[in-house]
Amino acid sequence: MELFETPLPGVGVRYEFTSAAGDRLGVVVRRDGRRDLVLYDEADPDACRDTVTLTGEESAALVELFGGTRVTERVADLRQDIEGLSIEWINLEPGRGLSGKTIGDGRIRTLTGASVVAVLRGEQSIPGPGPDFVLEAGDITVVVGSVPGVQAAQRLLAG
Amino acid sequence: MIAASGASTVLVELGAVLLVLAVCGRIAARFALPSIPLYLVAGLLLGEGSPIALQASTDFIRIGADLGVVLLLLLLGIEYTPAELSRGMRTNWRAGIVDFAANALPGVAAALLLGWSTVAAVLLGGITYITSSGIVAKLLSDLGRIGNRETPIVLSVLVMEDIVMALYLPVVGVLIVGATVVEGSIAVALALAVVAVALVVSLRLGTKVSRLLDSTSPELLLLTLLGATFLVAGLADKAKVSAAVGAFLVGVTLSGQIAERGRELLAPIRDVFGGLFFIFFGLQIDPADLPPVLVPAVLLAVVGAATKAGTGWWAARRGGIGKPGRRRAAAAMIPRGEFSIVIAGIGTAAGLERDLGPLAACFVLVLAVGGSLAMRFTD
Repeated sequence: MELFETPLPGVGVRYEFTSAAGDRLGVVVRRDGRRDLVLYDEADPDACRDTVTLTGEESAALVELFGGTRVTERVADLRQDIEGLSIEWINLEPGRGLSGKTIGDGRIRTLTGASVVAVLRGEQSIPGPGPDFVLEAGDITVVVGSVPGVQAAQRLLAG
Repeated sequence: MIAASGASTVLVELGAVLLVLAVCGRIAARFALPSIPLYLVAGLLLGEGSPIALQASTDFIRIGADLGVVLLLLLLGIEYTPAELSRGMRTNWRAGIVDFAANALPGVAAALLLGWSTVAAVLLGGITYITSSGIVAKLLSDLGRIGNRETPIVLSVLVMEDIVMALYLPVVGVLIVGATVVEGSIAVALALAVVAVALVVSLRLGTKVSRLLDSTSPELLLLTLLGATFLVAGLADKAKVSAAVGAFLVGVTLSGQIAERGRELLAPIRDVFGGLFFIFFGLQIDPADLPPVLVPAVLLAVVGAATKAGTGWWAARRGGIGKPGRRRAAAAMIPRGEFSIVIAGIGTAAGLERDLGPLAACFVLVLAVGGSLAMRFTD
């Protein structure tokens, strides 16, 4: 998705983008904190078909409503490689890979160079699990390492 | 007690004047029109020779009107951030030149045809040149056009007009003093140097100056801003560069948070004193002077509307805007208002051409109303 930014002197900044469905949307961030949500006209692409002006409070509420997807986006962003470093969330399914075994059993670090830095179990998160830590089905392991290292660790962990 | 009864007459008249402004503003809002034309008409009706002429409060209104001009120009200076001004200068200078040439020349030509002096011609050029950023910004917002693709183009032309005002006003100030060519050139160069310094200060040291003056207390911020502005405006007036120019430069120098909050705090005060200014401008005009200037004023308004619309159309086409958008941009440039009256006010205060005030009033009346209707009509 490409976001275009246009300064509006004396008013603020306008951002616009085209949605996958082809609608052109814009948001005007005003200097006084108000936001305008605009939908562009298909017949006259320079004009707005509709403008909704929101106070700072209302736009904050709207962002909260959209927030769920934004958190997922954040996680997706985190997975992206940072100069050769890869972070991956790996689900453990019952009876496959290392579920029911300890982290040490998989010899992940020795074989792949990647490390399990945390385990997410239900609502709980366990940072820095040792080699004796027993993995269970349904755990999500957070693995950090080189891109091929993490891919190899994924094969060991998920099976 | 004579003093007390004098004070009570001033209060009664001032109260009446402010209520007249309020009624005019409400009528204008009802018809979704700018209030400036009605303020001017109210001033004409309350002026000399009218049965309801003001007696005691004219001195107060005169001072109020002076403060109004200072505040109008201060807020014009604050309106755009230094970054917006410098970006405007870099990217829109071509549109700025076209806008200035196309819209100042009709005024200058008309003044010369009427046999006015060169100084009066320069003033009339300014009057026909400057679009009312107040009327346009309000209407763009009211008509829901802030998000439109032609709107940044219209706004960037208005930014250029703001920059041109920074150069134009000092030059006018010098010309009005009636200096010789050499004195005049020196003074113009000096004025331009002051403007350049103010812009550089604003860009480089704006945050420091603003931090020095800033305060979390609205009361202290307001007192500081008004004090600094009136002081600089007064000194500028003493130095013969006109109070309006001084106030404008103070506005340009302020940036960041102080500009943001100053705008909020000062806008209502400007509206009160600005209202007094428009009334006072109307008061000074003898209604008997209006009929002779009516025909030239309307002709000039027609030409001025056409040249502005042409500028807007041209700028929008350059920006890759489609035909309906070009029409909207063209209409959005037409309204003239507060700054045309400010320029005319500088001329009348200096005692230039007698017809300048009435002509400017008629011109603004036609284009403030006509321009607003044109903007609506293109929707």
